[in-house]
Amino acid sequence: MSLRLNRRRFLGTSAALGASAAMPWRPANASTPFTMQAAWINDAEFAGYFIGIDEGYYAEEGIDLTYLPGGPDVIPESTIIAGRADLALTTPDTTIRAIVEQGAPFKIIGAQYQKNPIGVVSLASNPILTPQDLVGKTLAVPPVNVISVNAMLQINGIDPAQVNIVPYAYDPTPLIQGEIDASLDFTTNVPYTISQQGVEAVSFLLYDYGFTIYNDTVVVTEEVLAEKRDMLVGWLRASRRGWDVNFEDPNLWPPRWADTWFAGTGRTIENELFFNNAQAPLMEHPDGYLSMSEDDIEANLSALGEVGIVGSRDMFDTTLLEEI
Amino acid sequence: MAGEARLPWSGLRNAAILLALWEIVGRLDLVAGGALPGITEILLRLWEDRADYPRHIWATLAASGAGFVIGNVIAIAAGVIFALSPTALRLFRGVNIAVFALPPIAIAPILVLTLSGMAPRIVLAALGVYFVTMTATVIGLSQADSRATDLIRAYGGSRRDALRLVLFRGALPSIMAGLRVAAPNAVLGAILAEFGGGGRWGLGAYLLGSLGRGEPDRLWGIGLVATLIAGLSYGAFALLSRRLVGATRAVTLNSAIPEAPAQTGSRAARVMLAAGAVGLPFLMWWAFIRLTGVPDLIAKTPLGVIDYLFFARTAEMAQARLLAALAETLPITLAGMLAGLGFAFALAIASKVFPRAIEAFMPVALITQTMPLVALTPLLVLILGRGPSLTLWVTISVTFFPAFVTLAQGIALVPRSAEELPRAYGAGRWREIGMVTIPASLPYLFAATRLTVPRALLGVMIAEWLATGKGLGNLLNQSRGYLDYGMIWTVASVSVILSVLFYQLVVIVERRVLRRMGMATAE
Repeated sequence: MSLRLNRRRFLGTSAALGASAAMPWRPANASTPFTMQAAWINDAEFAGYFIGIDEGYYAEEGIDLTYLPGGPDVIPESTIIAGRADLALTTPDTTIRAIVEQGAPFKIIGAQYQKNPIGVVSLASNPILTPQDLVGKTLAVPPVNVISVNAMLQINGIDPAQVNIVPYAYDPTPLIQGEIDASLDFTTNVPYTISQQGVEAVSFLLYDYGFTIYNDTVVVTEEVLAEKRDMLVGWLRASRRGWDVNFEDPNLWPPRWADTWFAGTGRTIENELFFNNAQAPLMEHPDGYLSMSEDDIEANLSALGEVGIVGSRDMFDTTLLEEI
Repeated sequence: MAGEARLPWSGLRNAAILLALWEIVGRLDLVAGGALPGITEILLRLWEDRADYPRHIWATLAASGAGFVIGNVIAIAAGVIFALSPTALRLFRGVNIAVFALPPIAIAPILVLTLSGMAPRIVLAALGVYFVTMTATVIGLSQADSRATDLIRAYGGSRRDALRLVLFRGALPSIMAGLRVAAPNAVLGAILAEFGGGGRWGLGAYLLGSLGRGEPDRLWGIGLVATLIAGLSYGAFALLSRRLVGATRAVTLNSAIPEAPAQTGSRAARVMLAAGAVGLPFLMWWAFIRLTGVPDLIAKTPLGVIDYLFFARTAEMAQARLLAALAETLPITLAGMLAGLGFAFALAIASKVFPRAIEAFMPVALITQTMPLVALTPLLVLILGRGPSLTLWVTISVTFFPAFVTLAQGIALVPRSAEELPRAYGAGRWREIGMVTIPASLPYLFAATRLTVPRALLGVMIAEWLATGKGLGNLLNQSRGYLDYGMIWTVASVSVILSVLFYQLVVIVERRVLRRMGMATAE
């Protein structure tokens, strides 16, 4: 055991994380370290957590939060399996698939997006407003999401072979130039980028055409759930506070982070403002942010069932939300 | 003499013409509706973004610097051991070829999966430098002047004395040349890991955030800065080695896997060594996973991959997917190898016939080598579409440069007297090239092929991942989204094994052909 820890430190693992429980020099009276793995690079998608950190909401819960940004090669679920983070923001389809097919010990304890922001984005000059419009067109899809798109097409009675699906490589230029007819991306983000190039974009959500799943589901391992339940409740409470404060005025916070959270991301503050306003309706829930209602869980399970991912209710644990 | 003195000026003039052309084409948005901006547009954008760069550059330098140091310390130590012990060299042959051939895009997700923080960047940078420096060390040490070593021995010096007084001094120029070539590799490795690994700082991270903006001038700016860093690190070591060694050496480096001298020992011992050489990479793979302590679910050992492919409940499906992907990837990889090699060969011949034009083309060629392909590919898609021609061009751009340099060197080394013979009999320039230059540079053609072949798979996988959505590159990316860890490790290991096989195949053909022609392997 000690050999393994030494070796891991040699490899830079724990040193780079700064949150490993093995670190001896933390004063005993400080709050407990806790690490979360986000799903992507820093942008408005994670505004609520930035507020929670900056305003000390996590600290008030006794949580010393370390925040890890994501990226294309980062699989958030892997980070919690490897024990490098306690909690991850994931897409429910990958998480539930991992539970079903690999026996991964995950529980979903909350959901950031009640409606998945992923949608089909096209140019107003060549609009694609419904799944039917996609027939005969070229759609760029991140390889990760091909199954979701196929499911949405099938739910709407369209043979996926009728749509020409090509990989999407994070760059909207091919769409703006008309090399592709549409791309699959966050509708909270790309339409702004496209408008900056002097072109108007339109979009529809997969959610609105039957693929009714969450996004950025809050996932922990069963082990963490058993051992750190109080902290997880505290994390949910602090995060909900962060999101409440964020949406009181969606235009207030992003400019403040120009030199902190958003420094050097390569994106503009205007883009984050668009994002933050556009995501508000996708996150709202009558019981508060991050909630999971029975109806929505059922909708998730049935939509995923269409893709052949057969999940069950016990993969979701709503009892922590009830304790907030 | 006067003509030679004018040469740099005319080279500069040609480069200026090329840059002016780029500027005009870019300003008028002639290429893919503006996806290639003019030089001044890129520079202006660079100036606008100047506040963003320092921290990203610093992070890239830190990761690539650490990887450079670690990779080179290991490489030089390994080189010394290999130079002293042919047995060790033979035993590690498999490891050396695997490190040389492994496609970084298949390895990056594995590293991000198993390590965290800066570690994936440092390891990818270190992997980029190990092979070059190790080879340079072995060659430098084994080419020492035997008379000087004999002298030390004659005066009662030990083996260690010989190493210290003669071998290291003699090897220094070669090692320095190795470090020079290795430095840009470290930068590129670090940037690739930054792109995928989820950190906030580093040019790769900046590139990822910028990709979504649809602004080519920013992307080209980042590419230009990456080129500059790679170029400066090359230049810095060139300068250092001139100071230190006081002699200049060839730009290029031997890139052959160092070979142990003729086989000795019993047949059984040789078989054992060969088995060890094949087994050692797998043993190191296994040890890496055990030492990182990552759970079995996400980190697969060699046995884990075999289990996934042959014995698991989903084995049949996994095999079918893998075979389907291979059927798409392999044919275009072979075509890509030929295209890359053909392009390099044409360029090398052209550099003999039209030296000035090629000289002016070189700066552009260098940019294509350091411009991150994740930024370049979406732009190439606009020009070439998403068919096989795109895959071929991406593969050519990944493969042609090292092959060209090797070939050009070979062609330059053809004895003048041999070239003049056909001329004396009235042969034209092309005929002379066909009769003398090409056959005489055959060993270099093989050396170039050895360089090209493993990289071709890298090029094809990049194109598949970013543009065509087929084959191994797509399978790897898709598996990441499905948390199909078994497939991620399978694709990574299959792509490394394939690259090694391609390499070995060339080595076998090369030995046969060159032996028949009575030529020696080019180094």
